[in-house]
Amino acid sequence: MAENKISIYQIAYKNLLRKKTRSLLTMLGIGLSAWVLISLMGFNKGYESALSKDIDNMGFQVLVTAKGCPYEAATLMLKGGTGLRYMQEAVISDILKHEEVEKVTPQLMAAIFDPNRGESGGINAYLGVDPSTFPAMKSYLEFKQGGWFTDPNAMEAVVGYEAAELEQREVGDMLLIPEKNVELKVVGVLKRSGTADDGTIFVPLRSVQKIFEKEGLITAAGIKVDKNANINELENKLYDLPDVQVVSLAQVKTTIMSLVSTAKVMVFSIALIAILISMLGVINTILVSVYERFQEIGIIKSMGAMPWDVFRMIWTETVILCLLGGSLGIGFSFLVAKITDVLIRSLLPYTPTGSLVIINGSLALLTLGVVIAIGLVSGVYPAWRASRVRPLESIRSEGD
Amino acid sequence: MTDQTMAGSATNKEFALEAKDLRKLYKRGGEEIPAVDGVSLAVKKGEFISIIGPSGSGKTTLINLLGCLDNATSGSLKVVGETIFSASKCLSESDLTRIRRRVFGYIFQKFYLVPTLTVLENVILPFAFFKKAGARTNPMEILRFLGLDRRIHHRPSELSGGEMQRVAIARSLVNKPEILLADEPTGNLDTKRSIEIGGILKSLNERDGLTVLLVTHNPALAGIAGRTIELRDGKIFA
Repeated sequence: MAENKISIYQIAYKNLLRKKTRSLLTMLGIGLSAWVLISLMGFNKGYESALSKDIDNMGFQVLVTAKGCPYEAATLMLKGGTGLRYMQEAVISDILKHEEVEKVTPQLMAAIFDPNRGESGGINAYLGVDPSTFPAMKSYLEFKQGGWFTDPNAMEAVVGYEAAELEQREVGDMLLIPEKNVELKVVGVLKRSGTADDGTIFVPLRSVQKIFEKEGLITAAGIKVDKNANINELENKLYDLPDVQVVSLAQVKTTIMSLVSTAKVMVFSIALIAILISMLGVINTILVSVYERFQEIGIIKSMGAMPWDVFRMIWTETVILCLLGGSLGIGFSFLVAKITDVLIRSLLPYTPTGSLVIINGSLALLTLGVVIAIGLVSGVYPAWRASRVRPLESIRSEGD
Repeated sequence: MTDQTMAGSATNKEFALEAKDLRKLYKRGGEEIPAVDGVSLAVKKGEFISIIGPSGSGKTTLINLLGCLDNATSGSLKVVGETIFSASKCLSESDLTRIRRRVFGYIFQKFYLVPTLTVLENVILPFAFFKKAGARTNPMEILRFLGLDRRIHHRPSELSGGEMQRVAIARSLVNKPEILLADEPTGNLDTKRSIEIGGILKSLNERDGLTVLLVTHNPALAGIAGRTIELRDGKIFA
């Protein structure tokens, strides 16, 4: 015996199959806005977590440098190392006096012009680190080859992954410091960490002080703060030290996030416009299909359909369109998350390493929820219009 | 005549439809044109009536009023004993829908089948909205009766005009209406198919005792009814 049941939902679904191209194009429009929406929300989430990861991977939360602009150290380094500001190494023991401090590691940045680097020469930078404290703070660093220095005064270097590729050095090779005529022996090559360490050449602190004649001086001290301590309080106390600049990485994060927020407002505006356009597309599609079926809707009402039945049928059509289109867009966003990442990276002035766009299940559900809500809102007018069709309208055109 | 006087009539139960002095006026350019002008008509249960008349005589307007698809300007109407419209009473659109789905089946000149649904799905389409107690639990019976049992999985585009109209008839019958209103059901069909549809309506009336009101231009088709009413200028002429 044949099945003799049919539901409003089945009718709604089959109605969409009448004009397949029109339904498909509307769905694609919805899919596109769902893709934009989920990618932007994913970016919002991913960017912040990538930035936090970058900052956490520095191993310390507070950086103490010689007085000056907090961003000066980096700028000066890029200009050629001339004018780097120095602090006395003794500051380390002063910092350690504070109970909030868990660990301190001194660093000495040295940079020198290398005429053989690239086509027209370039800056070689060396970071002098303390072998007794630095590796412990950067416990996430892993070696591709070799290990840390054999002696605090050794003329040795540990090379970051990218620096090793650039210099084409392996463990056992020698690294010449131009002008100084000093050769460092490569004892370790790091694995890729996705942080700034990838491009760094690490040298024992004492050796850098000796080679560059900066005995007793450092450029920065990285501080790992005790888990339970208040970072702001420590920062205030550190300002009491003479001639130092305290940079909290939390502050740096906030500064970068506020710079990015402008870009975020822009992209969210674009998403909003995309959503509005797709909403109008949905309203237009459904409304046209309602007008095309005016007589048929009238006949359905003469069969006994109440206004709410017709409303539900048309509303369901809208929601099906949005549900399918939204799922399509969300599925697509998972597939092209990497491309979206590259696209966003090319648009922003600064991007952290790691994944910029994080798209997961909960974000997908949220997007689907938003898209369905759009469907429900867009469907109200066409559904209401259809529910108001009087049966008579369907037959009046037939004449008398 | 008032609602009370009609209710007091002893013969009420015999009638499927009782119209008294029905009038429907349309406004055209500030002038009121009567499409139906004081029609009184009593249709007994199980009767087969055809309504004929020239174009513009008010046939469709009358059948719309009798089928609760439109409101009259004045007069009164009772459907299976229930007052639908009178000087003191007028049912709401929702109440009219309830009456329509319980009492009437409609067939029109156009078939209005849903192109993406199969024959069977089109026939049971009314069940999506309403299933009357005592409705046909097995729509195959009616499909078999109408010679469509081998076409149930076909789509309307694969059917001939006569077959499409038979599907529309089947659809109007699944909820077992008491009155079948057919407005020019053969208007889109050739003579052979018209006779075929006429025969179906006749046998539904004779076999099932279904009350049938048939509007047609075709005198041959009108002839199959037990009674023929001719309309002219909105009035019953004969």
